[in-house]
Amino acid sequence: MDHPHIMIMGVGCILFTDEGFGVRVVERLQADYEFPENVSLVDGGVLGIHLLGVIAQADHLIVVDAIRSQGTPGDMYRLYGDQIPARVRAKNSIHQVDFLEALTLCQVLDRVPDTVIVGVEPVDIETAGIELSSLIQSKVDPAIDMVLAEMDRLEIPYHRRNGNNVSGDTIEDCRH
Amino acid sequence: MAQRITIDPITRIEGHLRIEVEVEGGKVKNAWSSGQMFRGIEMILKGRDPRDAPLFTQRSCGVCTYTHYLSSVRAVEDAVGVKIPPNARIIRNLLHGAQFQHDHIVHFYHLHALDWVDVVSALKADPAATAKLSDNVSNAPWGGVNYFKDVQQRLQTFVDSGQLGPFTNAYWGHPAYVLPPEANLMAAAHYIEALRLQAKAARMHAIFGAKNPHLQSLVVGGVTSVKDLTPDRLAEFLSLVKETHSFVKNVYIPDLLAVASFYKDWGGIGGCTNFLAWGDLPLGDKEPDSLFLPRGVIMRRNLAGMKMAEQEKVTEHVARAWYEDGGPKHPYKGETKPLQENPQYRPGAGKYSWLKAPRYDGEPCEVGPLARVLVAYGAGKKEVKPLVDDTLEKLGVPVQALFSTLGRTAARGLETVAIGEAMEGWVMELVDNLKNGDSSTYTSWEMPDTGMGLGLNDVARGALGHWIEIENKKIKNYQYVVPSTWNLGPRDEKGRLGPVEEALIGTPIADPKRPLEVLRTVHSFDPCIACGVHVIDPDSNEVYKVRAT
Repeated sequence: MDHPHIMIMGVGCILFTDEGFGVRVVERLQADYEFPENVSLVDGGVLGIHLLGVIAQADHLIVVDAIRSQGTPGDMYRLYGDQIPARVRAKNSIHQVDFLEALTLCQVLDRVPDTVIVGVEPVDIETAGIELSSLIQSKVDPAIDMVLAEMDRLEIPYHRRNGNNVSGDTIEDCRH
Repeated sequence: MAQRITIDPITRIEGHLRIEVEVEGGKVKNAWSSGQMFRGIEMILKGRDPRDAPLFTQRSCGVCTYTHYLSSVRAVEDAVGVKIPPNARIIRNLLHGAQFQHDHIVHFYHLHALDWVDVVSALKADPAATAKLSDNVSNAPWGGVNYFKDVQQRLQTFVDSGQLGPFTNAYWGHPAYVLPPEANLMAAAHYIEALRLQAKAARMHAIFGAKNPHLQSLVVGGVTSVKDLTPDRLAEFLSLVKETHSFVKNVYIPDLLAVASFYKDWGGIGGCTNFLAWGDLPLGDKEPDSLFLPRGVIMRRNLAGMKMAEQEKVTEHVARAWYEDGGPKHPYKGETKPLQENPQYRPGAGKYSWLKAPRYDGEPCEVGPLARVLVAYGAGKKEVKPLVDDTLEKLGVPVQALFSTLGRTAARGLETVAIGEAMEGWVMELVDNLKNGDSSTYTSWEMPDTGMGLGLNDVARGALGHWIEIENKKIKNYQYVVPSTWNLGPRDEKGRLGPVEEALIGTPIADPKRPLEVLRTVHSFDPCIACGVHVIDPDSNEVYKVRAT
């Protein structure tokens, strides 16, 4: 495929402290970076299965989310390939019909985006509040770096909006 | 001896809901509905600029982002006293109509169908017989032996992969599934087609929404979709409306009728007594008379006695909810004071839910598609009444069958038809306005020091109201009463049951360990109490339980 569709999607609810992590990371990416046209940044919120229509358009999907995985708050995760289905199988509760379900359902549609999940173990996802906890706020930059590392892996160029071309290539040169 | 069944959480819904029923002699004798998540978004809003409210409340639910956004914008508009131009009204209606189409299709196929359709049985179907059945009952554009063979193969692969996703935890093989394998295969095929359609229906919101998901094009005073009012954008929207509507008429409704014809007994199960609709989709500025879906209230199932609904009669009760005690309060006076101590689940005589109990004139009311369709039927609305009569005739059931789980599920489909039918006309009205030189989409206004306002809407899941009080140009109080609170709320201080609790009583239960019948009625309300926490949680197996003791 000449220009595969790359989608960077933040999911979670911005009203519950660290639950908003994914959305905040994507907002920052949007504000600070420029990407070529075949990259879309999506604020997925908590639309769950209703995101299917959006996800189904992607060839590569990079999801940013709070992930509770019995780690220490602040732990960063990168889930890829087999690690994701394992979680789909384990998933059996709070949001029965949610984002992971939508991803699973893509299989029935013959179009499963190649998916990476970038996440952080949250401190607090219960208190109503629109600010991230300070620990998780400090993980926004590392998460941005992880997303950008995915872009490098996919050989997608990007610029910082202040003019520095982080990848070192011009966008035109980088249509691999 | 009565037996208690707890389903916690109810799956295939948005949010965390716990349902407990007491079964005796094979039937539900008593029921408790408990919202297990605290919302409390009202508390975040106090002291903020009123213009922020729509963007915050939009986030309070994962699925209903547009509808909270709309209600909140309307509440602020009411408080500041601004009237929006006709084009803004039409664009809002178009976005809202698209939301109805999208939500109802997703609900029928992806959240509710598996209560009636046994996917595993579909694997045993004869593709040739399925093709014949499909030719007989459906106008679907897909079909034929090879098509159904292919779908069956795909399902088999999916089942074999072990990653069942939404198909896990279903009660495959349960005796209450009565569709023949071929009907199950046809429905499963359309489940997949509906997924494809969902991808397209979502695009409707992108056209006038500025951003999708989480539309940003509504503002207090109108809409900002000025640059989207071009012939090609309008044509694209119209073509998506038509494609979606064609799916509704040719696939959704025939599937609904085919499934319903096997489950007519559910026309006598799962009904409620009182119904409330705020109505929605204003066709002019004289509300409520201009509402395409009319406003009204029906008490004791008396369709002929349908009355205009008045928001002054709404109160919220917390006697059985995890909030500090206080008498019934109108939303303008509403408080959100969660208990300080850890909430104890006491369904017997104590508190047992995070949902408050809304009442109309002191009575619990079902809200949602059935309430809207009954009110429109009672009002003799020409876009709705013939559709309902025709459906009743096709199924050979009396009008009383509407007061049921089956009636609720049918009403959802029928209003999707009525709305889809009307949307094309709205697009043309917008085109005419633009042709005649009226491109206004915004009315300017000024923030008053003080004000009170409310926004009443009827959204996919039912009657939604936002109430705001402004003081010193800031939000002094904000309350919203949402459809799932009406439907899934707990008892009140007088012991009157919430609608879903009432609906469950009398439900036959074939196997208490697999309470499929309870899920049918609960899902028929399209519960949505997400409004909150959503994390990827790999360790949640133990949370899910069906306990029969």
